[in-house]
Amino acid sequence: MRATLSVRRFLVLTSALLIAGCNRGPDATARPTVALVVKTLNNQFFVDMEAGAKAAADSLGLELIVQAPEREIDVERQMQIIENLIQRKVRVLMLVPNGSKEIVPAVVKANVARIPVVVVDSRVDDGTLKAAGGTVATFIGSDNEDGGRMAGAYLIERLGRTARVAILEGVPGHETADARLRGFRKALAGSPAMQIVASQPANMERDQAFNVTQNILQAHPDITALFACNDVMALGALEAIAAAGKGTAISVVGFDAQDDARKAITERRMAATIAQNPREMGRLAVLTAHRLIHGESVPAEQPVAISLIR
Amino acid sequence: MPTQTTPEPGLALQMRGIRKAFPGVQALAGVDLDVRRGEVHVLLGENGAGKSTLMKILSGALPRDAGTIEIDGRAAALASPREARGARIAIIHQELALVPEMTVAENIFLGRAPTRFGFLDQPAMVRDATTFLSRLGANIDPNLLVASLSIAQQQLVEIARALSLDARILIMDEPTSALTERESARLFATISGLTARGTAIVYISHRLDEIFAIGDRITVLRDGRNVATQEVRQADRRALVRLMANRDVDELMPPMERTTGTPRLRVEGLSHGNRLHDVSFNVRSGEIVGFAGLLGAGRTEIARAVFGLEPFDHGTVYVDELPVDIRSPQDAIAAGIGFVTEDRKREGLVLSRSVRDNVALPILRRLARLGIVHRKAETAIAQSSVRDLGIRTPSVSQLAQNLSGGNQQKIVLAKWLATGARILFLDEPTRGIDVGSKQEIYALINELAASGVAIVLMSSDLPEVLGLSDRVLVMREGRITGEFTRAEASAERVMACAVGI
Amino acid sequence: MISSSTLRRIVRGRESGTTFGLLVLCVGLWIATPYFATAANLSNVAEQSAVIGVIAIGMTFVILTGGIDLSVGSLVALVSVVIGSALQRGVPVFAAVAIGLLAGVVSGALNGLMITRGPLPPFIATLGMMSVARGAALLLSDGRPISGFPDGLRALATGEVFGVPAPVVMMLTLYLLAYLVLTRTVFGRYMYAIGGNEEATVLAGVNVRRWKTVVYAISGLSAGVCAVLLVARLNSAQPIAGIGYELDAIAAVVIGGTSLLGGSGSVIGTLIGALIMSVLRNGLNLLGVSSYLQQVAIGVVIIAAVLIDMALRRRVQRSSR
Repeated sequence: MRATLSVRRFLVLTSALLIAGCNRGPDATARPTVALVVKTLNNQFFVDMEAGAKAAADSLGLELIVQAPEREIDVERQMQIIENLIQRKVRVLMLVPNGSKEIVPAVVKANVARIPVVVVDSRVDDGTLKAAGGTVATFIGSDNEDGGRMAGAYLIERLGRTARVAILEGVPGHETADARLRGFRKALAGSPAMQIVASQPANMERDQAFNVTQNILQAHPDITALFACNDVMALGALEAIAAAGKGTAISVVGFDAQDDARKAITERRMAATIAQNPREMGRLAVLTAHRLIHGESVPAEQPVAISLIR
Repeated sequence: MPTQTTPEPGLALQMRGIRKAFPGVQALAGVDLDVRRGEVHVLLGENGAGKSTLMKILSGALPRDAGTIEIDGRAAALASPREARGARIAIIHQELALVPEMTVAENIFLGRAPTRFGFLDQPAMVRDATTFLSRLGANIDPNLLVASLSIAQQQLVEIARALSLDARILIMDEPTSALTERESARLFATISGLTARGTAIVYISHRLDEIFAIGDRITVLRDGRNVATQEVRQADRRALVRLMANRDVDELMPPMERTTGTPRLRVEGLSHGNRLHDVSFNVRSGEIVGFAGLLGAGRTEIARAVFGLEPFDHGTVYVDELPVDIRSPQDAIAAGIGFVTEDRKREGLVLSRSVRDNVALPILRRLARLGIVHRKAETAIAQSSVRDLGIRTPSVSQLAQNLSGGNQQKIVLAKWLATGARILFLDEPTRGIDVGSKQEIYALINELAASGVAIVLMSSDLPEVLGLSDRVLVMREGRITGEFTRAEASAERVMACAVGI
Repeated sequence: MISSSTLRRIVRGRESGTTFGLLVLCVGLWIATPYFATAANLSNVAEQSAVIGVIAIGMTFVILTGGIDLSVGSLVALVSVVIGSALQRGVPVFAAVAIGLLAGVVSGALNGLMITRGPLPPFIATLGMMSVARGAALLLSDGRPISGFPDGLRALATGEVFGVPAPVVMMLTLYLLAYLVLTRTVFGRYMYAIGGNEEATVLAGVNVRRWKTVVYAISGLSAGVCAVLLVARLNSAQPIAGIGYELDAIAAVVIGGTSLLGGSGSVIGTLIGALIMSVLRNGLNLLGVSSYLQQVAIGVVIIAAVLIDMALRRRVQRSSR
């Protein structure tokens, strides 16, 4: 009996805490609610995006809900979150999809519920979307392909047109990573002395990048450059390179301009990274949502400038 | 009652009026025991007489209900093994309590390793271990892993540990059961050395030859009491056996007239490693054949072999005079054999399931059509079992774990009867069961036999075997060493065969 | 079909604790947000619970026998990829699904063989299979998701039967089937007996080895059905699908009151456990609770559910003495 009582008390306390720690139901303030669903909040990039979005929402008088699955690879969970938010009757859905093609059914559901969809940073596959009869209001993001191209051009310039290059790919089939790779490869295509000797996926994760880089170094100890599709992987690669004692011999370029990457660049351990400005993406997304709520039209493409940090 | 006694010169241990009860059974009913310094005091008694309980109390592993213990004239509480060690009592169990993956030295000082500034003082440990080992005349390298030693050597390590505890009272439980003759002889020499230094030894053994070789005095325990203490010189083997076994055969067994029919089960030349040697016997329908013997004599092994649980090297099994190849319990059940195992909780019942589920388990296939169980048939069988066997339960949906031991055992019996078994192995069928239920089960066994079932009864409870069996087979160390009809069988004769006179 | 005695058992029995918990959660959410108790949302919740709910059926069987299956998440990926590859090669939907399910059954049976013949502990065997199946899925698909499937398959996710989403219908049908098997068939009895006391069951002449292998095959089949659902829902077969699903399935089973030691529990409890988890996630989304707090909340619920169940079990035991 005593056991059940204390268990009950524990449950009541927990439920109270949960209910206290969240937004209550219908807005007492009657502010329009918009939602931002990112790939995962366990990545600095999206935490920055959330910060930019929050700031914009506060200044525009919008209620912002930010949700994400635990893992960048979990599309099913993202779909469930979107379904739930549709029930929540949010006014606009801002989305960074975990699967370019897989997320289309969820977009269609939002369309049916007459919730405009703003796609951020990672594109929804156009062909699949059209085939399913879905639409998105706009795409806000950097041209990832252009960013890859910039990274390639930088390496060519830095290494004097000759190098043995290794590439760390992202999650296969992810549009973002694919675009960056495309751009990078195109940039290198014009310089035959820039040889790509290895290209392996590391799923955008740091410890996988460490292992893969170690293996690449075993097979190709004489590489002089490494391009990683995001900073998380680049940082893992840096550690593997340091462990192999090749710190100065290899120029590493990442993507995303995370704080740790910037630090590594100032410390001269890393060569460069491409900054996408996720904060700006978040701000623009909320701004666009605001305009959509007020019936204004928005352009189909809203590019956000990228820059090379070296 | 505790009396003020003047300690006899040379009395290392004095136990008076030791009582200990477990639920349902009075294990010790007021035991007195004196052990002099420097003597080898043998403790004799059959299974269940109370030897191990008494020694557990002495070594601090069990608390006593009543009675006093004096060590070297001083009262001792012995409330824990540590206290017993503090009183310089050491016990060497039949199953040696050493850690195989540690070295000899580490084992000798287990839990008491010498330290220096908080770190293990390895050299001191090895040095001390060597001292004790050499005192025993044991030529063992203290740095060897215990797992690499022979049993005889491991035993010496245990004795060395006792020495390192500066034990004044050493309890040894069946120390020679795993030793060769030569190793036993060396052990006896070691014991002599110990007693010469004043250590008192309580020596538990069944082997009468040994007892007469090294013992100074003998105490016989029976039914939780000390029935005799004698000097070895004055003891007579036959008299000892009579003391051990002679009890009132309880009037619990209603004698029954039964006619026996054709041999239902015949086993020829059953052998398995060194556990069973050329066992042959038969059981007729309507007959109860009892297997007597000490624990570990091999009775359960026979049942397990015939029931298909263990493979055997040689031997043939005939059911109704036809040879059968039984490789699994399924085959055995198909041949009409049932096996009431000795541990009903572990092997006989699924305690978390109901009476009905347990009774029906072996015959579910028969009660089902196209895989779907016929509920009504299942309940009907369970209910008729409850009725026929007098199982006391509010309903057949009651969980087996909620019934008393006696009723649980009846469920096990019911289960086998429901399979239509005509040959039944009963292994310790009344272990841990109160007297009232025992009587009911005996009546059931008799009824079963009267209805034509061939029963093999295995039990270490001598009166039970003697009272129920038409024939008694005695086993010792994997062999059948004696066969008696009901008329010929007596406790002493059976006991004699069991210990090997 | 469900007798009054079963209803009485549900109300008074072990499942009552979990059902009560689910009701409390629903009422709480109903009060906290107006978006919860709408037909559309509840329909969503039911549909969302189908993914883990289906796997949890097989997991219930396995846990009832005292085992565990850590490989189901990877099997979901493997079967997805098998189905995807088949469809890509033009195999008709029906056949592709059948081949996928077969792959699930065979993998599960392999688990069963490792466990009964090895004999390997279920934890180890299925842990190994978890890795092997994941690797096989990645190999077969070259690491890339396969997409673009015929409408016939998508209908499994988007279709409706009398207004109820197809996945929910599928889930409920499978639960009903599982319930009948566990309570009415010889096989079901064997499950409980093996979990309750494997040794005694062997002694009773039951071919425990065979049935344990079958149980793991069933778990593989459940994972396969989940894969079919997932492929239909996402219109894509991903080799990285299903990561972490085994833990969610185990959580559903445990919340539902089935003991990890085996021998007691019911599949109805698992259904309620799966629903509790979906309702919780749905509610937290609707309330806009921070994603970090959500992860904490789910863990707390699992612990609370097990504590309640243990307390209830002690009470039931005491009252029947």
